[in-house]
Amino acid sequence: LLTVKPDAVTTMSPAGCPHVNGFKVDNWKQNLRVIYQCFVWSGSAETRKRKAKSCICHMCGAHLNRLHSCLYCVYFACFAKKHIHEHAKSKRHNLAIDLLYGGIYCFMCQDYIYDKEMEQIAKEEQRKAWKMQGIGEKYSTWEPTKRELELLRHNPKRRRITSNCTIGLRGLINLGNTCFMNCIVQALTHTPLLRDFFLSDRHKCEMQSNSCLVCEMSQLFQEFYSGHRSPHIPFRLLHLVWTHARHLAGYEQQDAHEFLIAALDVLHRHCKDDNGKKANNPNHCNCIIDQIFTGGLQSDVTCQVCHGVSTTIDPFWDISLDLPGSSTPFWPLSPGGDGSALNGESHTTGATTLTDCLRRFTRPEHLGSSAKIKCSGCHSYQESTKQLTMKKLPIVACFHLKRFEHSAKLRRKITTYVSFPLELDMTPFMASRYSLFAVVNHQGTLESGHYTTFIRQHKDQWFKCDDAIITKASIKDVLDSEGYLLFYHKQFLEYE
Amino acid sequence: MKAAVNQKLTEMGERDRLKELLRAKLTECGWKDQMKAHCKEVIKQKGLEHVTVEDLVVEITPKGRALVPDSVKKELLHRIRAFLAQHTNNLEY
Repeated sequence: LLTVKPDAVTTMSPAGCPHVNGFKVDNWKQNLRVIYQCFVWSGSAETRKRKAKSCICHMCGAHLNRLHSCLYCVYFACFAKKHIHEHAKSKRHNLAIDLLYGGIYCFMCQDYIYDKEMEQIAKEEQRKAWKMQGIGEKYSTWEPTKRELELLRHNPKRRRITSNCTIGLRGLINLGNTCFMNCIVQALTHTPLLRDFFLSDRHKCEMQSNSCLVCEMSQLFQEFYSGHRSPHIPFRLLHLVWTHARHLAGYEQQDAHEFLIAALDVLHRHCKDDNGKKANNPNHCNCIIDQIFTGGLQSDVTCQVCHGVSTTIDPFWDISLDLPGSSTPFWPLSPGGDGSALNGESHTTGATTLTDCLRRFTRPEHLGSSAKIKCSGCHSYQESTKQLTMKKLPIVACFHLKRFEHSAKLRRKITTYVSFPLELDMTPFMASRYSLFAVVNHQGTLESGHYTTFIRQHKDQWFKCDDAIITKASIKDVLDSEGYLLFYHKQFLEYE
Repeated sequence: MKAAVNQKLTEMGERDRLKELLRAKLTECGWKDQMKAHCKEVIKQKGLEHVTVEDLVVEITPKGRALVPDSVKKELLHRIRAFLAQHTNNLEY
């Protein structure tokens, strides 16, 4: 039909092709918009009706076969059967538009062309039509800016992520009983959403001084994902922690859980400077820490006399769970109760499970006669029951097993084995599925001990991080471990 | 009959919604990534300077059609049937 390809084939570029110039005259932009609105992406009922009726091949009547519309006249023809090609040749109309995808075809170049101006119009019309139909935004792939292209050209080294690569793994030097800090850093650098936030450079610092912990965190992620295999020395992080959380300063062994909470708190405070003066209310902060870690704990106090319920909701970053064997009584739940088997935890020899602990945490608790509260219904002090439930579960749920007992009488470590699952269904507490990604363990006694972390890296490979030493671990190693801090990540994210 | 069905679907905007559903399903099950990989191979073979969209269409269409999972086909068909049952009393044959 058409002549053989010209010798000099135009290499497709974003600059389009020279043959569109014939089209780009007079009111071409508006004409093109009308074509998109009527025949490609019809937003309104009216245009859809017209499209349904008129979009058929003028030669063979088919509505399939990659229908195209001529850009120079009102003519629809199919591409697959080359009917549009015949029209192009006979009328010397060299441009057509694909009614399915909106691409512009040039018969001279014999290929689809990418003209910046036309693409812009196409994007706008599609967005408009989809909005009208309630379809929502189209996901558009990343396109580099000029600056980014420049950077990519100047830095030609590329790193390939294969299934067995060790990206993200890096040991941490112990600077003197600092394993309590190292183990938390390991858990944080392997928190998927947090990693994504920092690796995409989302922190814009507005702090004047050099003491922004969020910046340091960002640096840490760069170090961890740099590909360097030698252990990192976190002296700057340690210094910032001493500056911002005085109670953790010194070379004594500290509690990893306390460090986690202190770190989240400082990061949250430093982030707030980030998203601005609009976040005055500490309960409505929208920083990354809040987005990932903050949940809501609902406390319902029921008056035993009038049964009036008083409800408060408090934010939380972790759930501290009492263990059997501590001085606070733990009522084991009946074996075969629906909680324990739910999460596939090993119930060998009646071992306590994480779900047991959670059920205990959310059980109604009778506040004794010595702890009467003032009931607004009865206008007097009455006995009551209190119950905790998870009003809002965070994306990352951290469970703290209270192994360190610091009561007036004794100080000891509770080593009761608690079995925890790889996948956690919070259905009894909330409808959501969580998967384990980090476990912090403590070995030793209350006086002297050592922290290590198991983390899930890349494609579900588990590794043990012992300060500077990283070794491969099996899922069994992880699940059989004692467990002090358990980090779970929500599996499916809903967009609010 | 195909034409009448198509007309109805287009008129009511269901065609666009179905397209979007299909797009989402095919991305979810990895079909899109498979096709992308195949396209890259074709481009490598033909050479970046010489390949046209048409070349790609010709090369990947048969494979693409064959690789659509049955579950996706079933779901789309179910949607279309349900829609037609709801909206058509008499189709012109």
